[in-house]
Amino acid sequence: MMGHTKIKRGLQFSNEGAPVENLVHEECCVSTAALLGADCPGLRPALTVALGDRVTAGQIVFTDRKYPDIAFATPLSGRVASIDYGPRRTLSAFVIEAEKSESDEVADVLSKTASIDETSNEGVRQTLLKRGLWPAFQTRPFGGIPAPDAKPSAIFVNATQISPRAPAPWVVLERRKTEFQQGVELLTRLTDGPVYVCQAPEDTLCTFSGRVKGAFFSGTRAAGLSGTHIDRLHPASLDHQVWSIGYQDVAAIGHLFQTGQYLADRLISIAGPRAIKPKLVRTCLGGGIRDICREEFASQSGGSTTRILSGDALTGRDAAYIGRYHQQITIMDRPSDKGIWRWLSGPSAAQGVIVPTGALEQALAVDVLPVPLMRALSVGDSEAAERLGCLALVEEDVAALTELCTSGADYGALLRHVLDDLAGDIV
Amino acid sequence: MILRPGFIPRMSVGGISVLQIAALLLPIVIVVFERGDAQARLLAVALLTAIFWDLIFAILRKRTFYFHGMSTALIVAVLVPPALPLWQLALTLSLGCVIGEHVFGGRGFGFLSPAAICLSLLLLSFPQVQLEPMTQNVALATVPGALLLLISGLVSWRVILGAFVMIIGLALPSNLEVDVLSLGIATLFGLVFLTGDPVSAASTNSGRWLYGLLAGLLISIFSPESTAISSASLVFGSLTASVFAPLIDHLIVLAKAKSRSERSSRRRRQSLA
Repeated sequence: MMGHTKIKRGLQFSNEGAPVENLVHEECCVSTAALLGADCPGLRPALTVALGDRVTAGQIVFTDRKYPDIAFATPLSGRVASIDYGPRRTLSAFVIEAEKSESDEVADVLSKTASIDETSNEGVRQTLLKRGLWPAFQTRPFGGIPAPDAKPSAIFVNATQISPRAPAPWVVLERRKTEFQQGVELLTRLTDGPVYVCQAPEDTLCTFSGRVKGAFFSGTRAAGLSGTHIDRLHPASLDHQVWSIGYQDVAAIGHLFQTGQYLADRLISIAGPRAIKPKLVRTCLGGGIRDICREEFASQSGGSTTRILSGDALTGRDAAYIGRYHQQITIMDRPSDKGIWRWLSGPSAAQGVIVPTGALEQALAVDVLPVPLMRALSVGDSEAAERLGCLALVEEDVAALTELCTSGADYGALLRHVLDDLAGDIV
Repeated sequence: MILRPGFIPRMSVGGISVLQIAALLLPIVIVVFERGDAQARLLAVALLTAIFWDLIFAILRKRTFYFHGMSTALIVAVLVPPALPLWQLALTLSLGCVIGEHVFGGRGFGFLSPAAICLSLLLLSFPQVQLEPMTQNVALATVPGALLLLISGLVSWRVILGAFVMIIGLALPSNLEVDVLSLGIATLFGLVFLTGDPVSAASTNSGRWLYGLLAGLLISIFSPESTAISSASLVFGSLTASVFAPLIDHLIVLAKAKSRSERSSRRRRQSLA
């Protein structure tokens, strides 16, 4: 068992508008849900169903054109309502509209899906791939969904509370302890290295034995980032791929192997300074935000001044559906873009200069020099960025730099350019 | 001494200039009070000159007007002697603002402090000019501003401490009973506003130590006596050190890359064990 790590660097939490009770307030049935291209940039889908087809939750609706083994499952039963494409036939949104389906159809669809094979390591891998749970993994370096045949040198389960506004893992896993435990044990079948369960020091979410190791993190916002966990315990490099996965997805893996059912249920929070009633709700993956936040939409008066984000205040995005990897919906003020405050606090388009302040030095919890990294990223110097350790990072890790820098540059987007550039060199 | 991020909201370059100007207000008031009308005239000319160039470049580049030049003007106005002819100040400050800042694209894009450039041009072009030594009152008036800049992370304590330790260390051989207080009075303003300028100083924490030590060494070397630091040596020492700041950062980055990969493989070995 690992000791407790207190992360001192990184941005402080803001817990304004965090859910007051650790109780699930409601089951939130959504009328639409979507699989989003924003969660897997560059994914080009090969459809296995057509527009208007009837689908059952857990059914495979498309596969990745690049890796046909990676399948994506629909979280909701209903009809395929729309399929939108982005540039170069990449996925933009695959929208499913809920509809009551007949029971014989369910049986029919499920008989066609791949069977569950727990006997061999390869069987576990194939089951996860074919039943649509593979996209739960994120790989480093470079981020994104790992290749079907990749072997990570370690797997990190992120079971920390990513912010006080997000649901607490122990609340979420209360009903799914055995599923989570089995999920964690199944992860050891994908790697020869350790599986770290990263959690808050006071939590005991599963038992540790053999290659399942516990790691305890507390402190700033960076304590909830997989990037920090990986950097502290098992740094990723080109030869040592490391995967991360969220705790709700691990429970879904356990659920699949226990019951044969695809678990699309997710517990998320509705929070933020402008949330009228911060709370936890049970909904499905990719659920429509309008349905989930029905009450909030009904009672928001000045609609144009509030901003509803999928994800947290720092890395979230304006969206109609909740993101694949997001655990919270943040309702906050739209930043004012006028007056003296803007002049003092907001970056202006004409500026773009990096003033190396002390705050930047404290912004990253990983072992990377922030200002040289920002300079390398802002001029797109991928060689220098690699030397500085950008392979250890993904977009969410550098959100703090975007927040603190005077330049107004989006370091997440700049990092993505550099990472894509470096990934292109290798292939 | 740096507040945790999160306390400090996102700042623009404009916000940083406002903080720097706020930190300079007390010293300039004391200086004008001590040296009288002549210094007030110099201050007015310095401010007008700096704002004039900010305005010209804002119009030429079609950018929002920011009065970043004000902080440069205030630093210069604190250090110049009251007897300085106004045209000499206007000329060298113009050169300092344009060469040190605007040709690079504005505040923050250059790599030298415009105030240090202006003052060194003044000292080189007009050899009879002697910069004012810092008095106890000016040093005292610098303290609140220095604290403000330290707390907001616009000056690194590593730079100030590194430079001051080096200055004291070099003064020791010539006089074993070093008057730390008088050395502090003589150097505080220059260390905070010339050496400590975040844009021209090194930008990594270990680099800041090296940069501070180097600045202290150069300031000591340029002084007529290592026990009495002159304002001119502060200017030349800071300017020369900031030329080396990018090199220092580069060396730190190379050293870090090496230690990083060693650390990574060590951690992986521990993790697999």
